[in-house]
Amino acid sequence: MFRLLLLLSMTWPAIASEERARQIIDEMEQLYRGDSSKATMTMQVQTPNYNRTLTMTSQSYGKDYGFFRINSPKKDRGIATLKRDEEMWNYFPKINKVIKVPPSMMMGSWMGSDFTNDDLVKETQLIDAYSLVLIETDDQYKVTLTPKEQTVTVWDRIEYTISKDPLLPLSQAFFDDDGEKVREMTFHEPKEYYGKLMPSIMEMRPLNKKGHLTRIKYDDIKFNVPEITKDTFSLRNLKSRF
Amino acid sequence: MLTFQIAFRNIMRQKRRSLLTGLSMTGGYMLFVLGYSLLEGSYGNIIDIFTLDSTGHIQIHKDDYLDRPKIYKTIRDRDQVEVALTNDPEVKGFASRVFSPALAYSGDKTAPSRLIGIDPDLEPTVSRLLQKVSKGTYFSSLRNAEGYYEAMIGRGLHITLKLDIGDEIVLISSGGDGSIANDIFVVSAIIGNKTSFDRMAVYLPLAAAQEFLSLGNDVHQYVLLVNSKDDNELVASGLSAHLPELTVSPWQKVEATFYRTMQADKQGNYFTMGLITFIVFIGVLNTVLMSVLERTREFGVLRAIGSRPMQLVRLISLETFFLAFISVIAGFLLIIPIIYWLAEVGMLLPEPIDMGGIEFQHLKGEMSARIFWVPMAFILATAVLISIPPGFRAARILPKEAMGSH
Repeated sequence: MFRLLLLLSMTWPAIASEERARQIIDEMEQLYRGDSSKATMTMQVQTPNYNRTLTMTSQSYGKDYGFFRINSPKKDRGIATLKRDEEMWNYFPKINKVIKVPPSMMMGSWMGSDFTNDDLVKETQLIDAYSLVLIETDDQYKVTLTPKEQTVTVWDRIEYTISKDPLLPLSQAFFDDDGEKVREMTFHEPKEYYGKLMPSIMEMRPLNKKGHLTRIKYDDIKFNVPEITKDTFSLRNLKSRF
Repeated sequence: MLTFQIAFRNIMRQKRRSLLTGLSMTGGYMLFVLGYSLLEGSYGNIIDIFTLDSTGHIQIHKDDYLDRPKIYKTIRDRDQVEVALTNDPEVKGFASRVFSPALAYSGDKTAPSRLIGIDPDLEPTVSRLLQKVSKGTYFSSLRNAEGYYEAMIGRGLHITLKLDIGDEIVLISSGGDGSIANDIFVVSAIIGNKTSFDRMAVYLPLAAAQEFLSLGNDVHQYVLLVNSKDDNELVASGLSAHLPELTVSPWQKVEATFYRTMQADKQGNYFTMGLITFIVFIGVLNTVLMSVLERTREFGVLRAIGSRPMQLVRLISLETFFLAFISVIAGFLLIIPIIYWLAEVGMLLPEPIDMGGIEFQHLKGEMSARIFWVPMAFILATAVLISIPPGFRAARILPKEAMGSH
């Protein structure tokens, strides 16, 4: 009995910390999503060889449904991405084709940016697929996410840093199998959108590719939009909306 | 002069032996020439096939595009390149190209393909593309009536995607600016056959490919033919000096694997030819030694009346050289018609070799000065070389002992 109590008292803080970490991460995830959201954003892709600026609109519903559509430049206008659960499709209006993104392409670049297709699909599954360990400092939470055994991922661990006041994400660092930090996402310039405070800029920096940077700036984001429902995210809409 | 006379007389003294020795050298020479001609001829043929088919004699790229092709490694200052190429009198013709892997669709069928953007007007001056159109018509750089650019596809794509002339082909690739390139083209021609290197290629007019890949006016490659193909490395290094920021590669670098294999194979063949000569000359050495031993008494007399040892060495070398020279000339006269026939007609192959849509039915030899003089020089030099040991043997003869023997 004594032993059992001892065991409980030893594991209790760990369970508590995991539970707290879950809450924090979940809150971060909710931040950009709400129940549903509609946003316009500007994506800047910088590489040593080219710079490119795209503007696009996005819609989301819960954590499983997402929709992205490029508005400019003109050449790419109308190219859209639909994400439903863990599946993804791209639509190209010029050739009127919907192409499913195969599992092998999940780590490929999304629209030439430093974000991968996988980032769009799986990013939201953090709390289900990873075990969490929380470290608390005076003004920050540091959550280390290690993939659960059955999780298929290329990351060895992810370190998520969150500021306490206001409770906002600061950075995410991604580590590969050799324990090396290979890319880093940072959050900047918190702004209020319809009463909700959130970072207006996300920057993704692959550390193994010098001079590469993708910056996403939210020009506008609205939450809990009533006209967005599950039905919005159909292949038919992928081809016809806008 | 006296030495000459004596040497010549000595050859004639044993006519049958000289004839047999001479014949073995003639045979050796002819075999050497034949092997050399076929080796150079067949490789020359293969080199012509791929350089004229698409590789060209020289290619120009940005940086290490040849080894690590990346879409953004482009040649930007095209005027500078074209001025340098136009001003070089050795350059026969040039054309520019762009490349990218692309996914090709037709209906619900997909196939990986290689997109090659070419200048429709200049390409025929550097490659056989125009001759390889097996169905349909060679495209132009203009859009068709419906506003689509035309594409020419390899036979493999024609089969895999069940595409025919006039059908739409959809291409998806990644553009030079990170965008996803996607567009529809109309098939205007089928290129080559199932074994062509470009069976999975989609050819687009250069302007269409540049627009598709968002490359602006940049290209990935300049390909050129030179006036004399054997000088291509020289021309390449000359151009390289004019275009320091670009990489100028002769075909020996472009097709480095083939080139190394060819060099290794040639060396193996040279070794075999050297071996034939060696075997021939073991016989010759034997003959010369025999004739020296036979004439011990005679050399003794020559020494006794005041011949110097070196004169005897020279005499024997001269004898062997004469014999070799006569044999080689005879071999030369005999082999000329054979080589001429090999170079002009060639041996009929039981199965024609197909090289990317162009068939070769004859195994051809090369007919050039080096085919004859290289073996000639080699045989004459070897003849002189092997006559030296017997010569020294003769030179060491002491008159007193020699004249006492038989």
